[in-house]
Amino acid sequence: MRKSQFLMAFLSAAFLSAASASAQTLTVGLDADPPRLDPALSTALVDRQVMNQIFDKLVDLDVNLKVVPALATSWKVTNGGLTYTFKLRSGVKFTDGTVLDAAAVKYGLDRNRTLEGSARKNEMNSIKEVKVIDAQTIQINLAQPYGPLLAVLTDRAGMIVSPTAAKKAGADFQNNPVGSGPFAFVSRVRQDNITLNANKSYWGGAPKIDKLVYRPFTDGDVRYANLLSGAVQAITPIDPKDISKLEQNAKFNVLNYPGIGFQGVWFNVTRAPFNNKNFRQAVAATIDREAIAKSIFYGTVTPAAGPFPPGTPAASSAITVQKPNIALAKEKLGGKPLSFTLLTVPGSVTTQLAQVYQAMFAQAGITAKIEQVEFGTLLDRADKQDYDALMLGWSGRPDPDGNIYDFFVTDGTNNQAGYSNKTVDSLLAKARAQTAMSARTATYNVALSTIISDTPYTWVYFQRNLVASVKGLTGLKPIPDGILRFKDVDLK
Amino acid sequence: MAVFALRRLLSSIPTLLIVTVIVFAMVKLLPGDPARLILGQEATPQALEELRRSLGLDRSLLQQYLSWLGGAVRLDFGTSLTDNSSVSRLIAQKLPVTLELALFAMLISLLISLPAGILSAVRRNTWVDRLLTLLALSGISLPNFFLGILLIYLFSIRLAWIPASGYTSLLENPGRNLLLLLLPAITLGVGSAAVLTRYLRSSLSETLNQDYVRTAHAKGLPGGQVISKHALRNALIPFLTAFGLQLGGLLGGAVITEQIFSIPGFGRLLVDAVFTRDLPVIQGVVLVSAVAVFLVSFLVDLSYAAVDPRIRYN
Repeated sequence: MRKSQFLMAFLSAAFLSAASASAQTLTVGLDADPPRLDPALSTALVDRQVMNQIFDKLVDLDVNLKVVPALATSWKVTNGGLTYTFKLRSGVKFTDGTVLDAAAVKYGLDRNRTLEGSARKNEMNSIKEVKVIDAQTIQINLAQPYGPLLAVLTDRAGMIVSPTAAKKAGADFQNNPVGSGPFAFVSRVRQDNITLNANKSYWGGAPKIDKLVYRPFTDGDVRYANLLSGAVQAITPIDPKDISKLEQNAKFNVLNYPGIGFQGVWFNVTRAPFNNKNFRQAVAATIDREAIAKSIFYGTVTPAAGPFPPGTPAASSAITVQKPNIALAKEKLGGKPLSFTLLTVPGSVTTQLAQVYQAMFAQAGITAKIEQVEFGTLLDRADKQDYDALMLGWSGRPDPDGNIYDFFVTDGTNNQAGYSNKTVDSLLAKARAQTAMSARTATYNVALSTIISDTPYTWVYFQRNLVASVKGLTGLKPIPDGILRFKDVDLK
Repeated sequence: MAVFALRRLLSSIPTLLIVTVIVFAMVKLLPGDPARLILGQEATPQALEELRRSLGLDRSLLQQYLSWLGGAVRLDFGTSLTDNSSVSRLIAQKLPVTLELALFAMLISLLISLPAGILSAVRRNTWVDRLLTLLALSGISLPNFFLGILLIYLFSIRLAWIPASGYTSLLENPGRNLLLLLLPAITLGVGSAAVLTRYLRSSLSETLNQDYVRTAHAKGLPGGQVISKHALRNALIPFLTAFGLQLGGLLGGAVITEQIFSIPGFGRLLVDAVFTRDLPVIQGVVLVSAVAVFLVSFLVDLSYAAVDPRIRYN
């Protein structure tokens, strides 16, 4: 008797708390606990999921990666691409009551580009000064023309923090972030949840849901189980293996749309064996990109030809996905033996992928040894050019420059190969200074043909954004940067 | 007893100092540069240098150790590299969660192992014993993550009785707290219940063969009394040792269980810290765990005297 009473007490307690949680709370499962909720300090992709709801940006992206108004209602580019003048929305307030005017925007932009330890310095280093013209007008002056600026401002660099809160919190701002976005930060319990409340006086209208809770589930199976059990109403990303099960389940919606990042293999061009261009080309020629997309990723990735995913502004049909060609690989090897070490991080998918590569290389008689190190060590060894070849990709940026410049320009911050080609350098600099996208695309494609032939890197696949939600959740837009915006989302 | 306790505590100071050196050195030996990991792919060389300096990574190892130890004795383990929050505060938040889980698991483990172990020993070599042995072996062999996922599948997805994950503090909502901890505690408790059942069976079987037990029987004492008053007390000594070891192990074993059930406990704090190379958090957590295991074994030593009147610490 007592046992069953005990159980009843348990269950009724569960019901009560489930009921008091109310229908207007949306809980979203993420694959990691967002480390730093400060636009200046954030370096993790997952931070952006949360920060996008808390902070308004100067401009935003739409589903076609077009830059659209946000805090700035309009903008003008003058002075040969050196001056950007933004008109600001009036009557906007931060959630702490501070008025959002040109001075606040200047504070936010300057903080992002100068704060000690800011991760935004690199993408904002073309900015010479930010000037307040009047209360609703702000001007950004550049040292040299920089086409990607608007796209950069659609991400963390363009997020505007409340000056009052940032000054008051100091280094602890990341744990008490205040912006003017559709949701306001309430609390976080590390590894458990981040809770946001709807900003009822949001300039764009109050969100339809009252409360937004993010919960981290590092394990894909656990994330999936929590969606099935109803503990969360949406998850991102979904493990590729669970996609078809979710698609066939009438209770859920699956969003599967292109992303902006890429994955592939770096070759260290500064030392043997990959200072030999033929060897790099030989390895690249053995990879069957279609087979990888089908077998390892269940078709949830797209084979890649270059750094620009299909549907993004600089993508060109002139650059096509390389087909595997073992005969060509053998010819490039010229009868010489090739063996090297492939550096990668641990993880079930990366391990599987590394082994598939190994088997594909072997078809041309190339021997690869797999070495697994943790991510920090991988980056460290990549910086020091202490590797033969390594598996590394990029989460992607809306402007094409962010997917190519730092990777292939001499001494670029992401140029892990140690690649240097004067023609490529000047073409990439030229594309950056051009303003018309058609002209930039043409320039990128010329640069790309050289890069692809030199093969310091070989692109293998583009990741897609995979989101699952309960059927009652509506209004999620498939914006390619993969960040879910919850302002217009409704939960029935 | 008090003198023994005090002497035992004082003599542990050198051991703990050695532990601090090991913990510090271990963390320093971890591959990977925390600054590189924090800044990720977007790092510029200047930003890396700035961060290394502000993290104190440019100082000598001895300087770093001494300043860390100086903080640790005042229970100040520095600040987390990930989000700048105080490591002591993080530990103070997470440790009670894991302790509660471990105690709940131990309770479940005792509720299973005491009756099962006694029954097994008393009914030695009968079908009851064989069945219990089989169950215990399965319990030992069943991996935590498998049992955890199985329970989630059954109780959360199929039956929808219990949420699949989450944590509510005991003070906030006791009913929900116990409900949410039930499946993780079973997951953790079953393995140790199996081990403890085997321990109790063997030690009690041995005791039941002793002369004084036979004497007690011969004097005509009822069977239940012979077991509870005479045999069980003696058999409990090895059982307690095993119990202490299990409790220490549970604190560590909670890592996987916390991961499966998304409980914001001590184990997950450690796992995440290792992945993000959050050195101050790793050092703090490992040191506190070492002290906790030490304390448990100390308490087990003291409890011998309580169970067995022949043991005196004078």
